[in-house]
Amino acid sequence: MRVGGAARLRRDSVALAVVAGTYLVLALSVHNAYYQLMLTLVPIWAVMGLGWNLISGMSGLVSFGHAAFFGIGAYVVTLALVYWHLTPWLGIPFGMVVGGLAAVLIGLPTFRLRGHYFALSMLAYPLAVLYVLEYLGFQEVPLPMHRAHPALFLQFNDPFYATLVALGLFVAAMLAGLLVENTRFGLALLAIKQNELAAEAAGLNTWQWKMRGLVASGAIAAAAGGLYACVLLVVTPDSVFGMLVSAQALVVTLFGGVGTVWGPAIGAAVLIPLAETLNARLGNILPGIQGVVYGVAIIVIMLAAPEGLFWEIRDRLFRRPQAAPVIHEARTAITVERSSGTLLEVTGLSKTFGGLRAVQEVAFAVAAGEILGIIGPNGAGKTTLFNLLNGVLPADAGGARLAGQELRGRKVHQVARLGVGRTFQVVRSFPRLPLLDNVIVGAYGAGLDDHEAAAAAATALDAVGLADRAARPASELTNKELRLMELARALAGRPRILLLDETLAGLGREECDDVLAVLRQLREAGMTIVIIEHTMHAMLRLADRFLVLDHGRVLAEGSPHDVVEDPAVIEAYLGSKFLARQNA
Amino acid sequence: MTATIGRRSTLALGGAAALAGAATAKAETPNEVEIAMLVPLSGPWAEQGILERLGAEMAVDDVNKAGGIKSLGGAKLKLLVFDAGTSAETAKDAAQRMVAQHPKLVGGMGCWLSTFTLAATEVTERADLPWLTLSYSDAITDRGFKYVFQTSPTANTQAEQIVPFLMKLAQDATHKRPTKVAIVGDNTAASVSFLKPIKSHILKQEKLTAVVDEIYTPPLSNAGPLVQPVRAARPDLVLLLSTSSGDDKMLADTFSEYGMPGSKLPLIGNGGHWAVPELLKNAGANILQDIMIGLANWPGKDLNALSARYIKRTGNPWFGHNEIFAYSHVQILAWALNKAGVANRKKVADEIRSMNVTDGPAVYFPGRHLQFDSKGRRVGAELVIVQWQNGRPVTVFPENMAVSKAIWPT
Repeated sequence: MRVGGAARLRRDSVALAVVAGTYLVLALSVHNAYYQLMLTLVPIWAVMGLGWNLISGMSGLVSFGHAAFFGIGAYVVTLALVYWHLTPWLGIPFGMVVGGLAAVLIGLPTFRLRGHYFALSMLAYPLAVLYVLEYLGFQEVPLPMHRAHPALFLQFNDPFYATLVALGLFVAAMLAGLLVENTRFGLALLAIKQNELAAEAAGLNTWQWKMRGLVASGAIAAAAGGLYACVLLVVTPDSVFGMLVSAQALVVTLFGGVGTVWGPAIGAAVLIPLAETLNARLGNILPGIQGVVYGVAIIVIMLAAPEGLFWEIRDRLFRRPQAAPVIHEARTAITVERSSGTLLEVTGLSKTFGGLRAVQEVAFAVAAGEILGIIGPNGAGKTTLFNLLNGVLPADAGGARLAGQELRGRKVHQVARLGVGRTFQVVRSFPRLPLLDNVIVGAYGAGLDDHEAAAAAATALDAVGLADRAARPASELTNKELRLMELARALAGRPRILLLDETLAGLGREECDDVLAVLRQLREAGMTIVIIEHTMHAMLRLADRFLVLDHGRVLAEGSPHDVVEDPAVIEAYLGSKFLARQNA
Repeated sequence: MTATIGRRSTLALGGAAALAGAATAKAETPNEVEIAMLVPLSGPWAEQGILERLGAEMAVDDVNKAGGIKSLGGAKLKLLVFDAGTSAETAKDAAQRMVAQHPKLVGGMGCWLSTFTLAATEVTERADLPWLTLSYSDAITDRGFKYVFQTSPTANTQAEQIVPFLMKLAQDATHKRPTKVAIVGDNTAASVSFLKPIKSHILKQEKLTAVVDEIYTPPLSNAGPLVQPVRAARPDLVLLLSTSSGDDKMLADTFSEYGMPGSKLPLIGNGGHWAVPELLKNAGANILQDIMIGLANWPGKDLNALSARYIKRTGNPWFGHNEIFAYSHVQILAWALNKAGVANRKKVADEIRSMNVTDGPAVYFPGRHLQFDSKGRRVGAELVIVQWQNGRPVTVFPENMAVSKAIWPT
């Protein structure tokens, strides 16, 4: 459970129980088979929306092809019933397994893509399956009627029971969604959505989390599809794999609210009856007009509440200052495993981009407990060097060993797990998440359990002096606070070495001093730090040693005062004319 | 003692019925009997549903003008029309709405597209509502349902009938049996189930070889790659299993462009969409000339008067496949209501199940015989073949219905 997750889960479970209970009373009081059908379809589409939300809403990987999973569920249930006489009670779980497996097969190639490319390639899967099923001759498959044991085959005589099953599935999907939201699973997905590289640099194996998300999402969508087939009693490739199915998942979620389990529920509860009422009221008078009115209604509401009804309602009615989450775990001071000798050793590291040699044969060593300042003019290759060290870019040659372990060839999150903490030149925060969650991602990335992670995050926040800001969303923090937040996130992973990329950039003199004080404390605690910085007066006060890069090469190395008086360094920074005038 | 009471109560009941009858007669406003039509009126199949509605409305007017349902004191038929929409879900929702909100319905018809019919009849069957359909799919009457009546020959039956007829026609015209057939079809349910028996045994039976077998996913954007192999293979006839007028037009156009119009190479389509006014408007009479179409029903020469009335009433150029089906379905329901003498859906279904007539509603079907088997399929349902001749689809088979003689292009 995340920090504060247990409380949220309790609160949301109570709300869910109230909603489900009300729905049950409503279902019991309706005896018109038509309204009962509507009451059955609403939870089914809500479950489909929940499935979509779990991957697309939470992790930001928008899928235009969730019909693939929905259709797989529907066809597995139907074909198992037709050919093996398998009751849908088992067919639906079986469909979920197949849906989950399909998610693995789909995720393997598709997670190589990002953004629009991911969304568009997802579009292809349901269409591909659709044609395969047509090729196999499954154009129209009716579910055989079982008059003898209707309940055994989910073909109830009283439609109330169908509503009950749909409601049960909805409650199960909501609980699954709530569990995801309130554990590190959800936080990992949210972190990926807001900044995938930062999540990866914090040590999260983003590929694995995305895959887990897609599998869970595929299984939930397949369950919705399986039950849908039992309600409709006939499946065709178009009705379960068609574009409209994928669109329906998107529409109910976007309408109700993205990134919250309540969104799909609200969306389905409003839109399904709305569409049907329009069909009933207008369809017989002016056929087709219902679609126009439905479209206009969606556009109007999306314009008024672009993030969905849930967020709009919450912001308007329930906006209240969020109390800082209470962390019960004991805080400790930052401690670093003291060691002596060389901690990081870089040898012959090189990287070229086409004709540009960004980093050439860079070699240096960092002693444990030392602060190494890396300086050099713009374009010298400093940030590229960091990117090579923590795996954002693959090196062409050379290597880097941390306490004897090779870093080259490892993925970003693997490097982070070895104990390399990293901050970025431009702060990479998770803007909608509270500061505490931003930091705790680093602790999860290091593989700490929930209690340890909470303690580590609290310790890190104390160390940078932001404990009182823990509940603030990152988007409300000042530049200095964001810099410290990134530092805290790196610290929460209990690193052995910190790579800080221009942590002081854009800070005023006093702010600069505050951050320097924090860094000095860290050194006193024994932390090893490599820092890239332009602010020379600050560097002179902080670093033990300087490494100067120019045009990708090491230009000079030594104590700060020796380095700043080195003619080669002066020439690199200020030009040969300045050097000549000084010498004259 | 019991006998006396029995007689007395019978008398009392009879008296009550007589009084009730008198009251109805006095009121001079005979009650209404509701029947339903559920067809696509919006979306891609709307054109088909609109034609069905025109046929049904004319039938309702005809029945009512002729005095309504006589055994119900001249009760008038009232047609309730529902839009089946664009998907199986909308069709099922509409069926559920229809059944739940109109408990007085005694019967209905629809939904043109077999997917919709399959979904909607799951609802009507559970409501014991007699349902008449023109949809071709065999699956509709393979489910053991008791209240669904399929008046068209099923896809399999049509497939069994069309090839032997074509062979006979060719032999009569050319004194030679065709040996090579080309098949071009889409991958929709209708085409796939139609082609299944043809490929599995009918070709073998008729000693035909499929020299071309091209399957495409509709809608067509370019028929060239499908037609090119046909030109190379030089078949004796071509089966075109498309399912929309748009694809029909493109196929007819492309065959013509490649020097193989229907007037030179026998082109045979299947389904009502090959004979709608829209196709004539888009493709033109020359392109369509001599193309033959297998259909589940089409008015023969004995229905010329009915056709003329429809043309006058609607302004449409002919009384076609969808219209005659809808017309006949209303007539079947009216006949069954009259026979049942009570506006009760189960009784109406009983009458349809046991009907065996050669007059009344039977005259609207080829073979002029109306009887349903235990599955709900029309006994002896046979195919009608029409041919485009001078910008009109005219009936050429069976012979007793033929308006014109079939032309086998050579």
